Amino acid sequence: MSAREQILGTIRNGLRETAAVPLPPVRRGAPVAVAERAARFAAVLGRLGARVETVADLAAATARIAAVLDEAKAQQVALSDAPELAAMAPAWRNGRRLLASDAAREELLAADAGVTFAQWGIAETGTLVLETAREQNRLASLLPALHIAVLPVARLLGTLGDAFTAVGGDGGGVRSRTVTFITGPSRTADIELTLVVGVHGPKHLHVVLVDDAR
Amino acid sequence: MSQLRPETFAQNARSALADATLTGALRRATDTFAERRAAAIGQVPDWEDLRTQAAAIKAATLSRLDHWLELFVANAEAAGTVVHWARDAAEACSIVRSLAKQHGARRLVKSKSMATEEIHLNAALALDGAEPVETDLGEWIIQLAGETPSHIIVPAIHKTKEAIGELFVDKLGIPPSSEPAVLADHARQRLRAHFGSADLGISGVNFGVAETGTILVLENEGNARMTTTLPKVHVAVMGIEKVIPRLLDLEVFLRLLPRSGTGQHLTTYQSLLTGPDPQGQGPRELHIVLLDNGRSRIVADEQMRQTLACIRCGACLNACPVYQSIGGHAYGSVYPGPIGAILTPQLAGLHSAGTLPFASSLCGACKDVCPVKIDIPSLLLELRQRAVEGTKTQPPTRSRWYERLAWRGWAWFTRGPRRFRFAMAMARLGEKLPFVQRLAGPLRAWQSSRELPKLAKRSFRSTWRGGAS
Repeated sequence: MSAREQILGTIRNGLRETAAVPLPPVRRGAPVAVAERAARFAAVLGRLGARVETVADLAAATARIAAVLDEAKAQQVALSDAPELAAMAPAWRNGRRLLASDAAREELLAADAGVTFAQWGIAETGTLVLETAREQNRLASLLPALHIAVLPVARLLGTLGDAFTAVGGDGGGVRSRTVTFITGPSRTADIELTLVVGVHGPKHLHVVLVDDAR
Repeated sequence: MSQLRPETFAQNARSALADATLTGALRRATDTFAERRAAAIGQVPDWEDLRTQAAAIKAATLSRLDHWLELFVANAEAAGTVVHWARDAAEACSIVRSLAKQHGARRLVKSKSMATEEIHLNAALALDGAEPVETDLGEWIIQLAGETPSHIIVPAIHKTKEAIGELFVDKLGIPPSSEPAVLADHARQRLRAHFGSADLGISGVNFGVAETGTILVLENEGNARMTTTLPKVHVAVMGIEKVIPRLLDLEVFLRLLPRSGTGQHLTTYQSLLTGPDPQGQGPRELHIVLLDNGRSRIVADEQMRQTLACIRCGACLNACPVYQSIGGHAYGSVYPGPIGAILTPQLAGLHSAGTLPFASSLCGACKDVCPVKIDIPSLLLELRQRAVEGTKTQPPTRSRWYERLAWRGWAWFTRGPRRFRFAMAMARLGEKLPFVQRLAGPLRAWQSSRELPKLAKRSFRSTWRGGAS
């Protein structure tokens, strides 16, 4: 008998006399009004040590990111393959190397900044949601010490449940091979519970909210 | 440390209590976590409803676990994941070993996972010279020190920063430091080299979603993302009880788990992985090893089934007065604290871990903090009963001759009023004799901390006769 048959057989046999407990309906968190989302997102994420700023359009975002890269003295910048970034990136060159998402691993590991264009944000929890079906964002958001994410305000969702629905909880299955939720810079409290920001993942998280409708 | 066993719990606990550094660190840590948890849940007005919902989802899932597991596996396979089934620890280890061999993997990295601790995967892989490098900071410290984790969430909770500093000087040759930020930065640099060159990554699983075949991994450091992204093969070890029905059920569990564990409203990272990522930046292969190792037996046990609802938050450890005093090592098992005291005897058997259910004052703090409402005190009582029943197979010991004689004498004296009056008069007289103040023989031990009760100056009978004056 295969392990699968044996394990399932033991479970089935053990549950023979047990009535199926009905699954309760899905429970969703309290919605967050659209008008409140940007402020709430910025407040929650800001408390965790991330920098969040709001600009009026992509041109302003491009300029801000150039300034942030200068400030961080970033030499190698890993980019996701988001088409929006392709239009913005030339302004960031300024003597530095821009690495495409398919650059060699060693180069990406050595990058000191990464830029992604986030798919969603969650206002309630101050979370960025990155989907790989839309953008190759796994490495640019993970390897460099500084992660910069652009997020249009229109992509801000209210709750965790909204985010699960957006990435495929509506029954169509999860669209992306990987969905990453990011809430602040990498952190640890493994040594005497002392908070240290920036262990394996980025030490700095910088979110540029683009509020077109403002 | 690693050779402690549950059988010797009493001795383990005594030596833990004698270790002032350990007890001090534990008290600070468990107090801090308990405070952070209380603050975090204070901001969630519907906390009780969330617990009820989570308990109901788990009860429903476990009552038809076979169905949800099959659905999970079908959807995972449809996404390109290879699913393996392991009846026990040995089978799970041999699956991972052969995957490593098949891919010629020599450099392995691993993120924190209780299931892999449970099956002692590192030791098994070490047989092939392919022991994984632990990449969670706390786990890495423990691995460098050759110890075992003492807490589900903070594995090195028992080590001071000075001890960790000395360990790093010794093992990594760094300049002396006891500054957590400096030590963490050394870990970042050192482990980066491992991530960059690893050919196989091993992780655990917090939740497996049946309707999508997705696995979810929670963490704060980013090491689990590295482990599940950089190597070309990712192997995830998942207990069969980790399956939940719907993607939207994650909302409830994500509200409960981080708040209960560390007091965070959300851990820094959640990775939802649905199949490998050969066209993208992730692994070319994703393998899930579904681990039974005694769990299917627990499913069959109506009373104990709820043990499997545990989401490994660690809240019951922090709340438990016994754990707060002795820490995780004394339990001699991978799972310590109240949850360990009910889970370990069921996985390992009452014969080896039957002492653990007795390591509790039944104060109920664990039940109060459990985010999925596991009634740990009742389960402890049930296991105590089973442990005692298990020892009843020996014939009851015959009472000793003097015990039988004493009872027979008592019976004779109390059967007639005259005999009784005589006996009481003798006792009143005897009480005055100095040598009677000290009991002899087997009764001396009883008296070592007790006074012999005195007879009343006047007996009830004589008071009755003479009228209550």
